[in-house]
Amino acid sequence: MRRSLLTLAALLALTAPAFAQTPIKRQPDGKPDISGMFAADHGGANYGLEKRAATNLTPGGRGLVIDPADGTLPMQPWARAENEARKLPERGYDDPTAHCFVAGVPRSVYAPSPFHILQPPGYVVLLFERMSWRQIPLDGRSHLPDSLRLWQGDSLGRWEGDTLVVETSNLNGKTWLDELGGVITHQAKVTERFIPVDGDTIRYEATVNDPGAYTRPWTIMMPLRRQNSELLEVACHEDNQDLGHLKDVRDAAREAAKKKP
Amino acid sequence: MRSGALQTTLGWIGAAMVCVAQAATVAHHSFAAEFDDNKPVKVTGKLTSMRWSNPHGWIYVDVTGPDGKVVNWAFETSSVNALYRAGWRREDLPVGATLIIDGWQARNGTPTANAYSITFQDGKRLFAGSPAGAAGTPSTPPASK
Repeated sequence: MRRSLLTLAALLALTAPAFAQTPIKRQPDGKPDISGMFAADHGGANYGLEKRAATNLTPGGRGLVIDPADGTLPMQPWARAENEARKLPERGYDDPTAHCFVAGVPRSVYAPSPFHILQPPGYVVLLFERMSWRQIPLDGRSHLPDSLRLWQGDSLGRWEGDTLVVETSNLNGKTWLDELGGVITHQAKVTERFIPVDGDTIRYEATVNDPGAYTRPWTIMMPLRRQNSELLEVACHEDNQDLGHLKDVRDAAREAAKKKP
Repeated sequence: MRSGALQTTLGWIGAAMVCVAQAATVAHHSFAAEFDDNKPVKVTGKLTSMRWSNPHGWIYVDVTGPDGKVVNWAFETSSVNALYRAGWRREDLPVGATLIIDGWQARNGTPTANAYSITFQDGKRLFAGSPAGAAGTPSTPPASK
């Protein structure tokens, strides 16, 4: 029996995560080396940033908003109404990621797929498994002209001590913050902080300042964990049967609305 | 090692393998918008094919109804990258295998569903990455229809 317990202990030791903290790796210039595969903790935050109960088909939300302190996003009334409307099944068709568009900022980081951080000289590059990317120059350049609007926006980075700060503007306002229809407009400026905690953990914070939809800036926080994996192919357009099903739901709701007196 | 201890150890290994086969929930769209929480389904059928396609995998099974009519059901799984990381492989699902699959039916009323789990005749069970099995969420298998 003792031997079987030892065998079991050995098995568990092989499969259990390493609890000992690994030191933060450094680049030759002394800045943190945060390269490698990472994913947002607990499958990310694609199911909403505010705390919410689970249903059979939507996992519960842990509540990732650290500012305001009550965990509620400070939405303007129209944005709250739009967010509630997007939760209806007939609005599922409208989520850009259902059409395989890129997830935008900050959603790309916490969509439920891992991403690869690269640190070539002068840049930080994020390669997302859903086959999109963000290239973040660190050379102090200025943002693009305000007339240019992009799905992933224009991101510029800098190091503040051991924290990588990334400021993003020039967003197109067409993305959703999550599957539940969180609102973000083209006026948004997003400040992300990648704070190495140890060699395998990054504290990720994103402050969204969007006067188009919110009454004040707000901040979310989640851990990013190193993954023992490599990027796999997710060619989203290959067989997107879901879109047809979601369109059926939308069309049925439109027909029902027409028949209402 | 006594046989009882061996069985216990193998049981732990088996439990670990079941955990490995639990695919993470990886959707590119809202499952709740496409499928109906209030329409749990559970069918027994013969596997006709599995599509290892993006953005989601699909399992097709012929289900014979009480009237003898055969309906080909389509069950959606998590994304194939999540299935692969969870240890799923093509050979796990041989065409012709008898499977019990539970999940939730599509809102459009077609024989389409979001798969929760697949059980083989020998009792082996694979979880397909339904949100009900997501980390941090109570796992709630759908009731029989």
